Amino acid sequence: MDTVFAQALINGLLLGGVYAAYSAGFSLIFGVMGVVNLAHGELIMLGAFTSYWLFDFFNLDPYLSAPFAMFFLFVFGYLVQKYIINQVIGQPHIMSYILTFGLHLMVANIAIKMWTQDFRSITTTYSGANAAIWGLNIPYARLVTFIVALFVTWALWFFLMRTETGRAIRATAQDKEVARLMGVDIRNIYAITFGLGAAITGLSGSVMSPFVIISPEMGLEYTIIAFCVVVLGGMGYMPGALVGGLVLGVAQSLAATYLNAGVSVAITFVILFIMLIIRPTGILGKGSVA
Amino acid sequence: MFLKSFRLVFVLLLIGLLSVGFAWGEQKKAWKIGVAVSLTGVFGKDGSLVKDAYTLWQETVNSHGGVNGASVEIIFYDDKSDPATTAKLTEQLIVSDKVDLLLGGFGSSQLFAASPVAEKYQYPLISGGASSNKLFDRGFKYYFSTLGKATEEVRGCVDIFTAVNPKPKTAAIVGADILFTSLACEGYKKYCESNGIEVIHHELFPMALQDYNSLLMKVKNKNPDILLVGSHLLVAMKTIKAMKEIDFNPKAVAFSYGPTVPKFVEDLKGDANYVIAASEWTPNMPYSGKVFGKASEFNQLYLKRFSRSPDYVEAAAAGGAVAQQIVIEELGLKPPLNKENRIKIMEALHKDKFETFYGKIEFGADGANEAHPPVAVQIQSGKLENVFPLEFAEAKILYPFKPWKER
Repeated sequence: MDTVFAQALINGLLLGGVYAAYSAGFSLIFGVMGVVNLAHGELIMLGAFTSYWLFDFFNLDPYLSAPFAMFFLFVFGYLVQKYIINQVIGQPHIMSYILTFGLHLMVANIAIKMWTQDFRSITTTYSGANAAIWGLNIPYARLVTFIVALFVTWALWFFLMRTETGRAIRATAQDKEVARLMGVDIRNIYAITFGLGAAITGLSGSVMSPFVIISPEMGLEYTIIAFCVVVLGGMGYMPGALVGGLVLGVAQSLAATYLNAGVSVAITFVILFIMLIIRPTGILGKGSVA
Repeated sequence: MFLKSFRLVFVLLLIGLLSVGFAWGEQKKAWKIGVAVSLTGVFGKDGSLVKDAYTLWQETVNSHGGVNGASVEIIFYDDKSDPATTAKLTEQLIVSDKVDLLLGGFGSSQLFAASPVAEKYQYPLISGGASSNKLFDRGFKYYFSTLGKATEEVRGCVDIFTAVNPKPKTAAIVGADILFTSLACEGYKKYCESNGIEVIHHELFPMALQDYNSLLMKVKNKNPDILLVGSHLLVAMKTIKAMKEIDFNPKAVAFSYGPTVPKFVEDLKGDANYVIAASEWTPNMPYSGKVFGKASEFNQLYLKRFSRSPDYVEAAAAGGAVAQQIVIEELGLKPPLNKENRIKIMEALHKDKFETFYGKIEFGADGANEAHPPVAVQIQSGKLENVFPLEFAEAKILYPFKPWKER
């Protein structure tokens, strides 16, 4: 295997890890509530800004501020679901699109008013640090994000399979009427799910903050990629975000290396298009199509 | 009954107040100037710099009694970085708001959309934040730019390598695939050829590209002596982040736009050092003129008002406003302006030569500023230093670039 190919593969896997890390929450929220959260990118933005401000004011390392970002985003997500999105549950899907799109505009614009249009970046003593192993380059910050993606996928799986709340969430996802009859407080479960989705998304924003450029309007492009990743991996299938992320990351990296960067962006949408037509349940065929 | 008459009195009072206000407004007619500029979206940051520049000009002029005795009022509209919206808002400024004059916003695509509207209604439109060659190829009479053409703007970034030893032999050119940055890449190519530097990689990428690592890794594998980037602020910041992550160490890296914006150095800190950027103006240039005095005095005013130094685009924007002001003063015009007045202003802008803090401004027949030398700056120990042209240089260029792992 030549080094150019190996390097492209590594870049792709690391990029895929980043995609998976920020798409898991999107998949969770869709899987349980059927809500396509168009304000997903804003959750990443808020996570990244939490780290940015804690770094700026208190010189707190972004990895140490990640728990704060998770906590803050959990509370934010919980309240948003409880007081806003719950109002349209049970109504046609288009209502939740309109609502979350409105939320996307609102959060982004409030952020602009509060923090201005500036592009920001966190530069720590180790930012950009990388290992060179057998002539191959591995940036540490991306490696950490990759590991976070693996951990989040495992932790979510564990939580959903092995805990009482997880079981209630799965029951609600399968049949909310029956779950309600069994004594599950659906609205509370929805709020917890959205809070959880927001928390892991905030975590991803936080661990990505050392290597991305942060701005109030960064969200939308992340929402688009998260959507592609989740379609690839299977809508609503939790480990699907990891699979979808890695496939997309590797495809983009190989395209950028052997073709050109323009193709690498286009390929995302070509893959999305083909998948929606021939395999809407995702690569592993475990997603829901409803 | 009491309530009814109270209401009547209230309404009459309101009408009275409004008419007083109206009459007062009639007496003290101000200059109404319209600006459609990006305050949100991808150019939101760059556009808000242009807004700051015009705001400072307005405040400075008003504190000195206005232009020909009338104060200046600016209406800013946000085009959300969408060219179609820029065109729509420009029309709205002219037709509904009935502004006397316009000033240009930021971005070649935006001005490319706004200028046909200005041309149609015969409004002079001077911009300090757009320089794509295509803007000047349309035979327009009402469009002016205080910046040089995009392909010429990056000349300093390439010509400077004639002054280093050993001279670089190969270059890689990458840039975002939008009007201004792709032209900057053309300019790099042109001046690489004239300087005998071989271009071994040339690639444009979409603004939506999220991951720069794979692209730059490909460039790194070709091992060019220098990397030239057609960029805006966001592209420039992402490029530096990616270069460090993949440990890419060319002998020099230059950008068409971005590093001169203060946030670049503030947030990238030490990683911003050694970066070279195209510029058209720095505060140490020996220029002076009406309104703002010397280039250094303009800088002082900026520091006082915004707690930061201006970027060259801000100087260019304010320079354009000053040129328009000089013409109005020479023609002795007062608001409101009519069509004939605006035609006179357009003609005078083409004919006159202006000495300003921004340097000489001489608009050619196509509206481009022909009097301006391309400048290159380098970030040295966190400070922007003018390194080219050599006669204005504050510092000697640091070359080659210090590898990331040795910093």
